[in-house]
This record gives sequence, structure tokens and C-alpha cells, in this order.
Amino acid sequence: MLKRSFLTNVIIYLSSALLVIFILSPLYVVVITSLQLEKDIRSPNLNLIPQYLDFRHYLEIFKPDHIVPVLPAMRNSLIVSTLAALFSVLIATPAAYALNRMHFPKSKMILRMLISIYILPTLLFIIPLYIAWVNLGLFDTYLGLLILYTTFMLPFSVWVLGSFVKAIPIEIEEAAKIDGATTNQLLTKIMIPLLRPGLFACLIFSFVLSWVEFATPLIFTSEIKIITVSLGLYRSTVDIQIGQLAAAAVIITLPVILITLILQKQIQQVVLIGADR
Amino acid sequence: MTNPRLHILGLKKEKRLAWLFVLPTLTLVVGVYAYPILTTLVYSVTTIDIATYTIREFVGLGNFQYIISNEFFSPTLIRTIYFGMMVVVMTILLAIGVSLLININFKGNKILKIIILLPWAVPPVVSGVMWSQMFQYEFGFINKIIKIFGGQGDTIWLGSPTLALHVLIITEIWRWLPFATLFIFAAMQTIPRSVIEAAAIDGAGYFKTVKGVILPIIVPGIIPVAIFLFVSAMKAFDTIFVLTAGGPRSGTTTLNYLVYLQGFQQFKFGRAAATAYILTFVILAVIFTMFLVNRLLSQRRSMNA
Repeated sequence: MLKRSFLTNVIIYLSSALLVIFILSPLYVVVITSLQLEKDIRSPNLNLIPQYLDFRHYLEIFKPDHIVPVLPAMRNSLIVSTLAALFSVLIATPAAYALNRMHFPKSKMILRMLISIYILPTLLFIIPLYIAWVNLGLFDTYLGLLILYTTFMLPFSVWVLGSFVKAIPIEIEEAAKIDGATTNQLLTKIMIPLLRPGLFACLIFSFVLSWVEFATPLIFTSEIKIITVSLGLYRSTVDIQIGQLAAAAVIITLPVILITLILQKQIQQVVLIGADR
Repeated sequence: MTNPRLHILGLKKEKRLAWLFVLPTLTLVVGVYAYPILTTLVYSVTTIDIATYTIREFVGLGNFQYIISNEFFSPTLIRTIYFGMMVVVMTILLAIGVSLLININFKGNKILKIIILLPWAVPPVVSGVMWSQMFQYEFGFINKIIKIFGGQGDTIWLGSPTLALHVLIITEIWRWLPFATLFIFAAMQTIPRSVIEAAAIDGAGYFKTVKGVILPIIVPGIIPVAIFLFVSAMKAFDTIFVLTAGGPRSGTTTLNYLVYLQGFQQFKFGRAAATAYILTFVILAVIFTMFLVNRLLSQRRSMNA
């Protein structure tokens, strides 16, 4: 490694600092806002470096009679996102295997069509779905949201799991067959365990994307009892004070930030595979 | 792709099993994507009665004519493409810069790599809320910084259509930078160390190495990222909804947001369906152009080589 000049180091650290400011300042501002009293947030002499920390907004938003139900919203999002992640992986795994490893007519074309769905604007299929959901009684239901979330993640999951399937050497399957493994054994005893990292990464990814989903609950739900976190937060921009809004923003972002930090390797892997069309 | 190991199960049986495996996915995809897309096409030539959600009458190309001949159409189209292109170009340039930076070995490099990833985990609604606070004219961070550096710091960022559009562009760049960086950085790491070291031994300085060795290798791989970013910008909805709701004076209404307004604010489903198809056409046309440009460039490269 060559020794860097002083000037080079200055440039490196200066650009790093600018980058960090660009990335972190909005996050910093929202955290600080959540910890200041409402009267100080709205005052022009609010300091960028806080003089005190006050957790009242957090206590306030968790009160059961609060105008925006943060806790129920988190419960709703947790239920729907977890189930959607599970179902999309459950449905995508056999499809990913069949389309990459079995005889299936036009499997390559189907894979390509699946992934190109994401090129289309979501609103291209939302209008008939909205009408159908109202007519079928799926509007404002968990099931209605679940079907949509699951299907929105499905092409991506098939694609990502497909590349995990392709990474498993075909010789392993052949050896198992020669040893007399039945199809059932081959799939459950060999493929599923080998696919475990892929399945896990896919679950996490689907969960996060469902957790942050906004347009779907906005259009397909209206009742407060089924409200999800993103929608709840938006509703609170109309209803409550800035400090509480910031606190709610921190609370709903924290789980996904933690997941990202802990599982950054898996997430990077999925992003790169997903991008690799 | 032929598969050598099927005969243990028997071809017929395997095909049946494969169908069983694919069927749930195909059912959902047909039900939630294919069928609605075709229905939207039908809606685009009708007006919909919103009391009964049934087709009232067929209007032929009337919806398309109405939209294209309307005075809001060309500003919206230009704004949409400008917005998309700005997001694509700025995000990619920034991501190349960031990738070059984290490719250098220095103290703090690891933390930087993690920080870069963070916007990915922030729900778009939250980033909308955050950036609207950043650009809030009285107490916002941006105006404060401007004041600290001796400026006026009283710009009403979200009050002007042009400024608001650029605030939106910044928000989208912030949101997609992790993805673009991850992808470009990965491409950069495929360059063997020896190649870069060889360039250094030849006496090429850092910038010469970047220009002569690194950029030529990563640029061809940028088209997929550009397409991804463009499509994402064309689909941008959450941030617009929260940050500006399409305003002020329609200054941040993209075609996608227009579909939403027509469909779910005005409940003109026929018109919204037609606009959705126009948007789809725009997206496909731009992607096609990107492919074409890429083709021409790579041809020129191979001719030069």
C-alpha cells in the first residue's frame, strides 16, 4: 500500500464527512425532534445540538387512547408482514425449484416475465383490484392486504430463490438419486436444508418491504382498526404534533434499522441478486 | 435447459409435479397482475360508474384524447421525465463517487459502508416526513445551516413548484443511494487488485487509474442500475404523497401521481386507466432507448478496441 499524502487524506475524510452528513442528518433531525418539547420544536431558536432530552412524546404515543394507535398499528403490520413473508416464500420456493430444475414448458420465459412485472407501474393493476376487493368483501380485511402483499413479493422471491437453487450443484441431486432417495426425500432432506440461507434472506427481505408498504394499505383499507404503521404515521401528520410524529417515526423505523444492521450481509446478497437481471 | 436426472421419477410424473409447484404462483400472478392489467386496458376506453363500479359507456380513445390534448399533459410528461432522469443521473454519479471512496482503505471505511446502507431501511413515509422537516422554512435544518454560513435562510423550499420538485429529487436520491452504491461497488470489486496495481506501477496517478481502468469496467454494468432507478422514480408515490401531495401548483405531480389523483381522488377510473397506460408506454420507451444507447456505445467500444 502506498503512503498517502496529507492532502489525499484530507480529501478522503472531508468527502466521507459530507457523505455522512447527507445520509444521517435527516435521521438525526427526526430523533432530536422526538426528544424536544413541542414549544421548542416550533421556536426559531431551536438548537441543532439539544440542551436536554425529553421522552414525553414517546410515552404519549403509547397511551391507549391516543388519536393515532401506534401500538395496534405495529401489531397489525407485524401480523400482516410476517404472514406475507412466510406465504410468499412458501409459494415461491417450489416454483423457483420447478422453474430452474425441472421440465417445465417455457420456464425461462416465465421467469423473465415474472421479473419484468416490476417494470410496470403499480397503479396499472390497482384500479381493477380495488373494485374487485370492494366487491369480494376483501376491502378493509387482513386477508385482502395479505393476498396483495404476498403477491407483490412473489415474483421477486421466485427470482431470488431461483438463483439460490441454481447455485446448488446438480451433482448433489444426482448423487442423492443414485443413493435411492425418493423425490420427497430429495426435496425435504437435501434441497430445503441447502436453501436455508436463501430462504432466510428472502423472508427478511419480504418482511422489511411489507413493513414499509404504504400505497397498498392507503388504497385498500380505510378503518382505523386495520391501520398499518406507514399509514398510521401518515395519518398522524394530519392529526398530531410534530414531536409525537417524530417519535412515532423513530419507533416504526427502529425495527427495520436494527434488522438491516444485524443482517446486512444477507440483505446485500439479496439486493445484488435481485439487481442481477 | 435440459435436465439429465429426471428419468428416475419418470418424465410424465415429473412434469405433473412441476405444474403442481408452479401453479400457486401462476394463479396469484394471473389473478393479481395479468387479469387486472387487461381489465385496466378495457377501463381505459370506458367511463366507470362509481356507484356500482360497472362500465357506464365505451368512449373509444376519448380518455386518451382528453389527457393528451389537456393543457396539464405536456408539463406533467416533461416534469416526469426530468424527475426520472435527474434521479438516475445524480444517484449514479454519487454512487460512483461513494464506491470509489469506500474502495479506498482508510480508517472508518467499515462504518461508512454501514451508514451508507441505512436509508434503505427507512420507510418511504418516514423519509418523506424527515425531508419535509429538513426543508421546513422556519425551523428546518437546511435553512439553519444556510443561516450559520451567513445566508438569509428564509427560502420557502416546499412553496415553489421548481424548488419542491428538487427537494423531491434529493429525497429520492437519498433513498436509492444505498442500492446504487451496493451494485456499483460490487462491480468495482470484480476488478482484480493486480490490474489496479499494474496501472500504478505504470506511473498512472489515481485519477488516471480511475478514468483508464475502473470506469471502463463499471460503466457497461450501469445500464441495469439506470433502468432500476428510472423505473423506481416513475413509480415514486409514497414520498410525493407525504412530502408535497403533488403540489405546490402541481409542481411535483408526476404521471404516476396523476393516475392516483384521477383514480382515487376524482374517482375517474377510466381516465386514470388511460393515464396508467400512457405512463407504462413512457417507461417502456425510455428503457428501450437506454438499451439502444448501451448497444451503440458497446459497439463503438469494441470498434475502438
